[in-house]
Amino acid sequence: MSIIEVKDLEKVYKTSDKESGIIGYVKHLFHPKYKEFKAVKKVNFNIEEGELVGYIGENGAGKSTTIKILTGLLTPTSGKVIVNGKVPYENRIENNKQIGAVFGQKTQLWWDLPVIESFRLIKKMYKIPENEYRKNLKKFSNLLELDELLNKPVKNLSLGQKMRCEIAATFLHNPKIVYLDEPTIGLDVLVKERIRKFIKDINKEKNTTVILTTHDLKDIEEVCDRIILIDKGSIIYDGEKQAFKDTYGKQVLAQIRIKNKNTLITNETIEDEFEVIEETEDFLKIKFNHDKTTIMNVVNRISNFCEILDMHVQEQGLEEILKEIYRGEVVC
Amino acid sequence: MLGTLLKIGKMGIKEYLQYKSVLFLFTLNRIVEVVVYIFVWYAIYNQTGQIEGFAISEIATYYILVVTLVPMSLWGINEDIAYSIRKGYISRELLNPISYFTYYFGKNLGEMGFGLLTAICTFIVCNIFWTVLMPVNIWAFIGFICILLLNIPISYFLQMIVGTCGFYTNATWGMQILRKSIISIFSGLIAPLTMFPLTFQKIANILPFKEFFYTPINIYLGKIQGVEILLIIVKQLIWVLIMYVLAKVFFNKAVKKITINGG
Repeated sequence: MSIIEVKDLEKVYKTSDKESGIIGYVKHLFHPKYKEFKAVKKVNFNIEEGELVGYIGENGAGKSTTIKILTGLLTPTSGKVIVNGKVPYENRIENNKQIGAVFGQKTQLWWDLPVIESFRLIKKMYKIPENEYRKNLKKFSNLLELDELLNKPVKNLSLGQKMRCEIAATFLHNPKIVYLDEPTIGLDVLVKERIRKFIKDINKEKNTTVILTTHDLKDIEEVCDRIILIDKGSIIYDGEKQAFKDTYGKQVLAQIRIKNKNTLITNETIEDEFEVIEETEDFLKIKFNHDKTTIMNVVNRISNFCEILDMHVQEQGLEEILKEIYRGEVVC
Repeated sequence: MLGTLLKIGKMGIKEYLQYKSVLFLFTLNRIVEVVVYIFVWYAIYNQTGQIEGFAISEIATYYILVVTLVPMSLWGINEDIAYSIRKGYISRELLNPISYFTYYFGKNLGEMGFGLLTAICTFIVCNIFWTVLMPVNIWAFIGFICILLLNIPISYFLQMIVGTCGFYTNATWGMQILRKSIISIFSGLIAPLTMFPLTFQKIANILPFKEFFYTPINIYLGKIQGVEILLIIVKQLIWVLIMYVLAKVFFNKAVKKITINGG
């Protein structure tokens, strides 16, 4: 049985449709009009225990709404959600005991107090056994380098330090499922690395299911095995990360240094072969599709117009693929 | 559960004490209030000679106790709830493994704990400047404490009802003022209740607010004794129950609103 089952999930928000000005406001008092907005439409997916899932989409695509429903903060308009055998929005408190969540900058640590105080409260609230608590605290301190931070008040910590403590707090009670909503927002590269490594380590050791939403696709590249891509409330891709790249990432980017150019290459390009993105006297940036042509062909063709000094070929990363999907250049 | 509540309470007190001057300033503030009240009442005594039921020595003690008790009867987590809603912390707090209702009861205990510290400091300092009467006997003191303890849940549930309004309006400032005014009038904070008209006193007898100031202080001064104290305790227990049911109903409805329509 899957640990998370989502079936035909829909969420409709009602927003009041006020006319502007005082008259509009008064009118609204007596005759409230509402606009309906479908944030999530017929979403289906199952997540197995121990999976690392990247849940991605543009701003306003319906990511946060889905996460809120999964955590029980929102009740869906229709459809069914079962998280580890419980319906989260009917049994919120029971569900809370088995999950952990990081919501961007909304901290669960007490602002004025040393971090360790918040940890102790978490221990009390979740009834974590003493030895389990000690073991976790020691391990997390090592992995996230918390030792000097634990006795400092939260208000004195930097953003990165705070997020490290926050992540540790979230995993302290050995949750079965962890929702991470933008855990690396605004952090420097080193802290990001450390957090990613931490998530992977804990997943491996405790088989924790992790659902990660982020706009930093490096998080997804490094942490997740599976991608769920949501756009305008519907899921447009759900599957292996590698398969996603293989299917949609067929474009190859090549940067070529050239000399002795005899013609404007942009004018010479034949449809379906390659596309010139940038061209100067000694530099050429092109894009071509693996399915339609090979590197040899491209090189042969270009060498008709100039001498090739150096060539750097780059597979398309997740980021480029998503950019194209968001722009509508590639259809899932 | 009790352990968790006490832990949250302790953290609340610690949070206050992180700022070293805070206890001093709060106490100073209380003492200034005592001075104002006592000067006003001395002036009234000089004009009228006698106030119903209270000798001039008693009225000083009455007001020192009133001001001492204010932190425990009027303060609380009101602003915290409004803040948590406005800033969106509520969505984080709703993910705790204990209910929001319980969590904030813990926070309220913290406020009460700090209130108690302020109260003790205020009381001690006042003893230096004025002659404060002591409780008439040990039973009066025990009764006094019992009534105060029962005020904690009543006050909390009332605050929860007011705070819950913030789920709809996003601001509870106006409601706070209303709550404080109603308590001030019906509790004997503005003036001992014996000075009000009889019909007013009858209403005050039914409402639970009288027990915030007037009743415990009268027990302390020995004006209410014996079985009467027990009856008051029964009345308070009934109010604890009523307020609990009201607060719970209000709160559950409001949380539904959040979880159905979205924060």
